[in-house]
This record gives sequence, C-alpha cells and structure tokens, in this order.
Amino acid sequence: MNDELRRHLDGDLPMDSLGDEARGEAEAWERLLDAFRVETPAVQAPPWLESKVMAEIEALPEPGIIQRIFAWLVSPRPVRISPIAIGLATAALLAVLLIPGRGFLPGSHALEEGPGLAVPAGLPGGEGAVVYVQFTLEAPGASSVAVAGDFDSWEGSYALSDPDGDGVWSGRFPVKPGLHAYMFLVDGSTWMTDPRADRYAEDGFGNRNAILAVTVPTA
Amino acid sequence: MASPTTFSPAAGGGPYVSAMSAPAERTDAQVVRDVLAGDRDAYRLLVRRYGDVLYGHALRMVRSPDEASDLAQRALVKGYRKLSSCRDRDRVGAWLFRILSNLTKDHLRSRRRTSISLDRLEELPEQGGGPLEAAHRGEVRGRLRLALAQLTPDQREAFMLKHVEGRSYEEMAAVLDASVASLKMRVHRARDALQELLEDFR
Repeated sequence: MNDELRRHLDGDLPMDSLGDEARGEAEAWERLLDAFRVETPAVQAPPWLESKVMAEIEALPEPGIIQRIFAWLVSPRPVRISPIAIGLATAALLAVLLIPGRGFLPGSHALEEGPGLAVPAGLPGGEGAVVYVQFTLEAPGASSVAVAGDFDSWEGSYALSDPDGDGVWSGRFPVKPGLHAYMFLVDGSTWMTDPRADRYAEDGFGNRNAILAVTVPTA
Repeated sequence: MASPTTFSPAAGGGPYVSAMSAPAERTDAQVVRDVLAGDRDAYRLLVRRYGDVLYGHALRMVRSPDEASDLAQRALVKGYRKLSSCRDRDRVGAWLFRILSNLTKDHLRSRRRTSISLDRLEELPEQGGGPLEAAHRGEVRGRLRLALAQLTPDQREAFMLKHVEGRSYEEMAAVLDASVASLKMRVHRARDALQELLEDFR
C-alpha cells in the first residue's frame, strides 16, 4: 500500500488530492469498509443487561460504614466558601494550632519516618501550610513511579526518581496537614499499595489504599 | 435500554469522556461519588449511559451476542468493584471502555488458545430479504469473518474502532492507553492483512 493511500485511509489526506491510481484503490477500500460496516451495525444492549448487572452488584457484600465514610471523605466535591467563613475558619485554626504542645491531628507517620522533612516558612499550620513528605518504593525494573492520592486528585502528578538505578524510587513532595489516602502508580498503569505504610484502609471495592497522617510539627 | 448516552465527541472533551446529560441529571463524577458513598442504585445510571456502547463494541469484537453481553456485564460489574480506583471521574465512560477492551482481548486470546471456533458471525441477527440476498449475505459474512479471524485482538480492535466505529486516532489513544503511533501501526497491519486476504473481494 503506497503512502498516499495509507494517509488517505488514516484520514490525513482528502480523496480529491489523490492521483487516479490511488483514487481507484481508495474507492475499492471504501467498498470493502462499507461491507464491514454493514455487517457490524450499531446495536443496543439487550434490555436485561441492566437488571443482570444490578442484581450481581446487589449480591456483593455491602461496604462497611467506615469504608463508606472514608470514600466520602476522600472524594472530591465542589465547595462554596464565603470570605467571612474563610476569616472565621482561619482564626479558629490559628487559635487551635498556636496552643503550645498541640498537634493538628493524632499520629505523625510521615514526619517521623521521612528523612529531611521540612516545614516551609511561615507559621506552622497557618493558611497554606504544607509539609514535605518523603515517599519511597522499591520497584526494580520499573520505568517510572509516581505517587497519587487525594492530595493531587489522584492524578499521579508527583513523579519519583531513581537516579542511581538501584530500584529504589523516592521523592519529596508537599502535602497539606491531614489524613490522606494514596497509592503508587508504576509504569503509568499499575497501581501498588505502599507496603511500608503504617495504616491502610479498604475501600470496600477490592482496593487497599495506604493512609498518610500529616501533622504540623510543634516548635 | 434507554440510551441518552453518546460516546461521540463532546464539546471540549473528546470521545468516551462522559455521558451527555440533561441539566437536571447527575454528571458522571457525581454518580461515581454517590456510588462510593453507598448509593449502589446510582450505578444504574452508568449502566444505562454506557451499556449500549460497551455491548456494541464487544459484539463487533467477538461476533456472538451471548458472549458480548457476558463481557459487557463483566466489565460493568468489575467497574463497580474497582470504581474507587477510577482517577478521572468525569471520564468514567472511557475507564469502563478500557476495562471492556482488556476483557474482550483476553477473551479472544483465550478463545484462540482453546481452539473454540471463531465461526460466530451467523449468530448475529438476520436482516430481511429473500433467499438470494440471504445467500449473498452469507458469502460476504463468511469472507469477512475469516479475514477478521486472522487479525490479532489488538489489530482487530484498532481496525474496528478506526474504520467501523469511525473513531479518530486521538480518540482511540485516549481510551486505549496507547500512543497514536502504535495504534496507526496496528491499523496499518490490519489493513495490509485484510488487503491480502480479501484481494479478489475488493
């Protein structure tokens, strides 16, 4: 098949720009493709598909209340915020965080385990505060590793690196204080649960997320 | 099955992105959120929106209505079970399609390994016409069926999406998690094989 005809069939070259020979070939191809289309018309799913799918789903064990609450907590949703509410919330947050010896959340998984953690300049836990968390995964043979979680809307936008090629991938990324679910994304398509996490949460649908508790260090 | 759904390109989105919804309807992302929060019945909306597209593609691939409905059912149930791992909830339709695509190709590979007959085209619903038309249709079907059976599952899928379903390479790449270049290669190889197998037919 010559390049001209190939580009036409790929949709990159209109019929009227083809030479006579290629045009004849293109018309023969259109007849053949029409035969395929006629023999494979668009069809609707059988009417019982919906009832069979829903019956199978209804027969599955129901997720526990904790799993449902967790799924609800980590799911993104639109939030309306008024300036007054922001002011009140910030004042309340600062009042709580500035009490000496009090953390924002119990637990300190990342802060205690991750090397070289640092808090950006500014008041601890103030508006926009983040903590840099070290993520590490042993994945020899992987061509890429990223971490994805509710902190990046599960986009997998934080790419880990393995500069010395020993199969240990790592990276430090900013995460806001709070409780976060995350997983590793290996080679862009394989989801892996962090085997070294302190906590995990089943989501009721066969997946197991690692849980990261990020707290603001006290002075 | 009611079908307010389309997988055709939506403004600013591309194919397989999300169902075209009336303003009062929940978006795909809202449905996913509700299901994950415990409203199982909300999943019915996704089945209605994408059932036809999933079944239609499976039928083109495996040529058997029974097997196609089984594959569509398995894809939709698996989608429910794995719903929390759907990262882009506005594109849950594309995500479901990818699940179906993998199940369908695995099914075809398994069918080859177990030497089950590929001769399934006759199971498609008959169209009208007299005995002569039926005989001609049967001959055409036989030729096309045998030719398609020579393609690998990846080639068959790419060929069907490109030339039968009329998708662009960019649309295909978005749902199949493959590059445009590799999809073009699959289609080119499929066409080369079909050209050889159906030379006199054309």
